[in-house]
Amino acid sequence: MTSPFIITDKLQYAYPKSKDHPALKHIDLEIKSDEYLLMCGASGSGKSTLCRTFNGLIPHFYEGDFRGLVLVAGESTIEQSVAELSVKVGMVFQNAEAQLFNRTVELELAFGLESLGLPSENIKKRIAETAEMMGIEDLLPRNPHELSTGEQQLVSIVAVLAINPQIVILDEPYSNLDHVNVRRVRAALNMIHMQRKGVVVCEHRLPLTVSEAQRMVALQEGRIVLNGSPGEVLLRDVEEFGLESPLSARIGRQLELPNLPLDVRTLKKDTPSVVYPTEFKPDLFQPVSTDLPPVLEVENVALALGDTAILHEISFTLRQGECLAVVGANGAGKTTLLKHLNGLIRPSRGKVRVMGLDISSSKVSDLARYVGVAFQNPDNQFFKLTVWDEISVGPKVLGRYDESWLQELVTLFGLRHLLNRSPYRLSGGEKKRVAFAAALACRPKILALDEPTAGQDLNFRRSLGEVFAHLREVGQAIFVVTHDLAFAEQYAHRWLLMSKGQIIAEGQPWQVMANQNAMRQANLEPTDAFLIYSGIPERDGVLKSITDCQ
Amino acid sequence: MLDPRTKLLLSIYYAVLIIASGHFSWLAVEWGLLVLFVVIIEEGNAYLRWLRMLLPMALFFGAVMWWSVGGGAAAAASIKLLALTSAFFAFFITTAPEDLGNSLVKIGIPYAVAFVMSTALQFIPVISRKAKNVLDAQRARGIPLEPGWSSLRHYPAFLGPLLIQAFRLAEELAEAMEARGFGRPHRTFLKDYKLQPMDWLAMGGGLLILITCLFLQRW
Repeated sequence: MTSPFIITDKLQYAYPKSKDHPALKHIDLEIKSDEYLLMCGASGSGKSTLCRTFNGLIPHFYEGDFRGLVLVAGESTIEQSVAELSVKVGMVFQNAEAQLFNRTVELELAFGLESLGLPSENIKKRIAETAEMMGIEDLLPRNPHELSTGEQQLVSIVAVLAINPQIVILDEPYSNLDHVNVRRVRAALNMIHMQRKGVVVCEHRLPLTVSEAQRMVALQEGRIVLNGSPGEVLLRDVEEFGLESPLSARIGRQLELPNLPLDVRTLKKDTPSVVYPTEFKPDLFQPVSTDLPPVLEVENVALALGDTAILHEISFTLRQGECLAVVGANGAGKTTLLKHLNGLIRPSRGKVRVMGLDISSSKVSDLARYVGVAFQNPDNQFFKLTVWDEISVGPKVLGRYDESWLQELVTLFGLRHLLNRSPYRLSGGEKKRVAFAAALACRPKILALDEPTAGQDLNFRRSLGEVFAHLREVGQAIFVVTHDLAFAEQYAHRWLLMSKGQIIAEGQPWQVMANQNAMRQANLEPTDAFLIYSGIPERDGVLKSITDCQ
Repeated sequence: MLDPRTKLLLSIYYAVLIIASGHFSWLAVEWGLLVLFVVIIEEGNAYLRWLRMLLPMALFFGAVMWWSVGGGAAAAASIKLLALTSAFFAFFITTAPEDLGNSLVKIGIPYAVAFVMSTALQFIPVISRKAKNVLDAQRARGIPLEPGWSSLRHYPAFLGPLLIQAFRLAEELAEAMEARGFGRPHRTFLKDYKLQPMDWLAMGGGLLILITCLFLQRW
């Protein structure tokens, strides 16, 4: 038995601007030096705040009301500076852009070692060893800002790992990653754990972490509400804490299996000839009638930059009341395609028609009345002092201000109580809702959303699903770009599967997922629901590849 | 390869020489040598790109001089401007920013200053990408930020989000640096920065050439 490496004792903390609402309340927790711990909880539950107390950022970097004690390796964090703690507890932050600040990956790895004051020879040796262990030698001379999202996330982890801390903490490492990159990062974390190091992952999407975590701790409103091995904890319903059990665990619970299966493979292995209860099977939409008028027609759109082809011959139609999801891995060209809908990018060839009109000569800002777009990062658009001003600024500029419609949107997105707040002071999910409302403010015929669910928790995804349902009823066409297949499966009529700038499959969600070659080419894995309920036999190791990293 | 500090000193010598030169033919030769150097180290294309940016400025400067002091002096002044900036182009193209910063730390410049110098450059592309994203997001919801005078009154919609994000980025960066031990004393560097005999030779030789050239010109 190893002794606890991090101990919190009656820890309480409140941010300076909200002294009356502590972000952490009475936290008593012990983390062992070689433990794989999942820290979960809905957005705003205090996960990130708690993690920042482990390496001393709270209280050294953040002011506020800090009570109780955090001991790391037997010593209070108050007595140790963040820099001193960095050799004990490494922390990987959510935003890769801000934590990669060197000119090459090699220098990025060197940074922490240089801080330690190691001689140049040792630094070189450690870089070589760490890079080899994590398989990123080929990235060493590259500029971190030119890497793909997944590679950046890996480099951020390896840069912390190079310092050789006893425990590595990761704040939502998967929020912007597609399945393949999630798998790479999971494999990397398993590797770290195998070196008898501690791994603490903050994440609210349980399916990504429960099968390898030894213990899960759930927070709600700053308190620890669940604590135990995933197999035990998930025996109860965790939805009240804003968490969603893996589908296999929910089915396992229903079937009263002795050992709760935490992933699809285990479920299928444990129950080879069982008919699964259908209550968990998602209701899939029937395709919309082709009699409905098209609102968007994309014809043979191709884009090339210099000699490089970015998009190849893309054609599709979006009809009134239809929800179309463009799915694909990071870098497949999904956002690039989305930017063609309102002229932010003009195609090298081909035509885009909105409501039958060729948009090639229209100004982007004029097109906002037909196509409302919300990009992934809402912070890119906030500049007004209140949420209400933020939503109404677009229609005012375009001369389409309609108070009653805006009021309707406020109700639809549940923003009533936030109207006088500054958009910058909202939570991530609230910001997204403001951005969606702003996108719809000019009553566009098409609503286009870029990764609307990235980094969002169960409650957000559910309420967005309800908004989608309402919008469909009133005939709103929705175009959504996402790598969140479980969301797209539930709420889209039709999928376009993209890979390397091409549409390689299209149809209803399960038709697309049944096309195993296309899915493999696109580097995507089918949803759990599909694997369990579609009745398509396991072939070519689809399931195996998912669990490779375990 | 020379130490970054040596290269910096040599560039300063060269700049002094250019500034002290008044005659067109001297300046032309000094600039010509720089161009030759750039071509030899195979950075000709980068130099051309950079020159294209600089040329309008040099021409404008030359035109103003022409109008005020006449042709000969104007030509000399323009070429002086080109040569002077080219000298620093040659320096920066051959020196990685962190090498310059870290080697200066060795002669007493605080690490924080050197760090800001090299890191600021790293974030230029990040900020310009953010600027592009802000423009896209605003135009997509109807705020006319298309290039032109008419969009000027909507500039808060561009600058607001950009500035706030830049500040946030700075905060996150500070957090990440600190978590990787930025504040620890006795920092070392991946590369060793030691002045070799070659460096001393270059510094001494360069000074000698500088003095000789200055002497020849005055004579």
